Amino acid sequence: MATKHHVVLPGEPIDPSLIPTHPKHPLRLGPGLRHIPPEDIVPTVAGQLITNPAKNSMWIEYNSNRYIPSQNDLVLAQILRSTSDFYLCSLSPHTAPATLPHLAFEAATKKTRPQLAPGQLVYARVSLANKHMDPELECVHPGTGKADGLGPIAGPGCAFDVSLGFARRLLMARSREEGGVGVLEMLGGEEGGGLAFETAVGRNGRVWVGSESPKTVVIVGRALQETDRLGLGLEGQRKLVKRLVKEVK
Amino acid sequence: MTVSSAPEVAFGVLPRADGSARYSHAGYTVLASVNGPIEAQRRDEHAYEAHVDVIVRPAAGVGGTRERHLEAILQSSLSQLILIKNFPRCLIQIVLQVESSPENDYVNTKLVQASLNFALMPTLMQTAILALLSAGVPMRATATATAIAVSHDKTVVDPSPRDVETARSVHVLAFTSQDDLLLAESEGDFTVKEWDDIYEAAKKICCRPAPDGASMQLDDDDSSPAAVGPDLRQFLRSTMESKVAADLHWK
Repeated sequence: MATKHHVVLPGEPIDPSLIPTHPKHPLRLGPGLRHIPPEDIVPTVAGQLITNPAKNSMWIEYNSNRYIPSQNDLVLAQILRSTSDFYLCSLSPHTAPATLPHLAFEAATKKTRPQLAPGQLVYARVSLANKHMDPELECVHPGTGKADGLGPIAGPGCAFDVSLGFARRLLMARSREEGGVGVLEMLGGEEGGGLAFETAVGRNGRVWVGSESPKTVVIVGRALQETDRLGLGLEGQRKLVKRLVKEVK
Repeated sequence: MTVSSAPEVAFGVLPRADGSARYSHAGYTVLASVNGPIEAQRRDEHAYEAHVDVIVRPAAGVGGTRERHLEAILQSSLSQLILIKNFPRCLIQIVLQVESSPENDYVNTKLVQASLNFALMPTLMQTAILALLSAGVPMRATATATAIAVSHDKTVVDPSPRDVETARSVHVLAFTSQDDLLLAESEGDFTVKEWDDIYEAAKKICCRPAPDGASMQLDDDDSSPAAVGPDLRQFLRSTMESKVAADLHWK
């Protein structure tokens, strides 16, 4: 994966030797970098410069508390109110509301659209993120018309706030091996005594934990938040899970 | 008499804010919180750029005209640094709370209305920059600022309240990390020659090149470290390095 690690500050020149070159692929700039034509590449945030020579891409890793929507992110949104054609949802506090069209649900027509009350949580994908417009969400795959696990969240549960970086790790396909986060697997496995729960992780730093038993929701939510806050490794997560299960029971 | 302490900073002091920093230097301690980009009120909304809102709160009492003046100065310089075109119709809110200021041994201040002056400006500026970095707000460059007081052909860097009182003129200068002049505010009587000298002195403090063997020795020969003040740019860099390392645990 990534090879080099350099801390950069906004506006600092990047050493040309760090910029990857590739005979075929064009150079791709990720978050935190700005191209000033003709040839300057300048960081805009303080963070770690990561380059990937194989894909000819570079970006800056940094941690911020404010979620800025980008296309195809999976987010946990909360319905604020409904208008004639769409729901207005909140992704993070005090930001402009995102729009979720009434017809952007699986098998929704004008007659059979889901009726969502203010406060309802929705697991959705960001379908449009443009700096001049409010973000748009959808709960249906535009190609297949299937929900693919998106949609209104039903059943007993609770949403917890975590940091954006931790939410991203939870969303990794192999979060235990690559991300170092095995806390959910442990809670459902032998360390947690096989707790039964389901989760929906939003890239906007919110995790919904659902279970029939309120105890399980509390254990899972606290385990996630403490792992995030203390930055625990796999061994620390195992100890935490064992402790929480013992304490709450 | 001079209150020259090494600068200190703590990040993330306010857990609910998007970014925060507590910075203390030259006897002043300022706490800053940054929230943004958030939704702007209709009257502050610009169609093509973000509105930067700076609020300065004094150590005691409520802010008055002096604070509004400082806010206006800071607002215009910070808008130059922040990439406001990236967030149209948004608001970036910076709140600066003065927590403590150095005492003046000559005047019995009861601290009913904390007096504000230019000596506070560099600390406010530096705290705002650090909090913006902590919030991850995209910026064109970083900046470093310093205050210089001139009294009877003696120049004092980071002056104490007494120095400001006795000084003929007080100047605040800030430079971006590309060595460009960002802010120059002066009060009092001074000549063009004096201002040029102050400009050179401030540039030396704010834009010190990254330390490597040769330049370090030159610096030591030129002037004593006390007269030059702390290396602000190096300070900014080293503190951000440790912060980034801590932040990226869950990258």
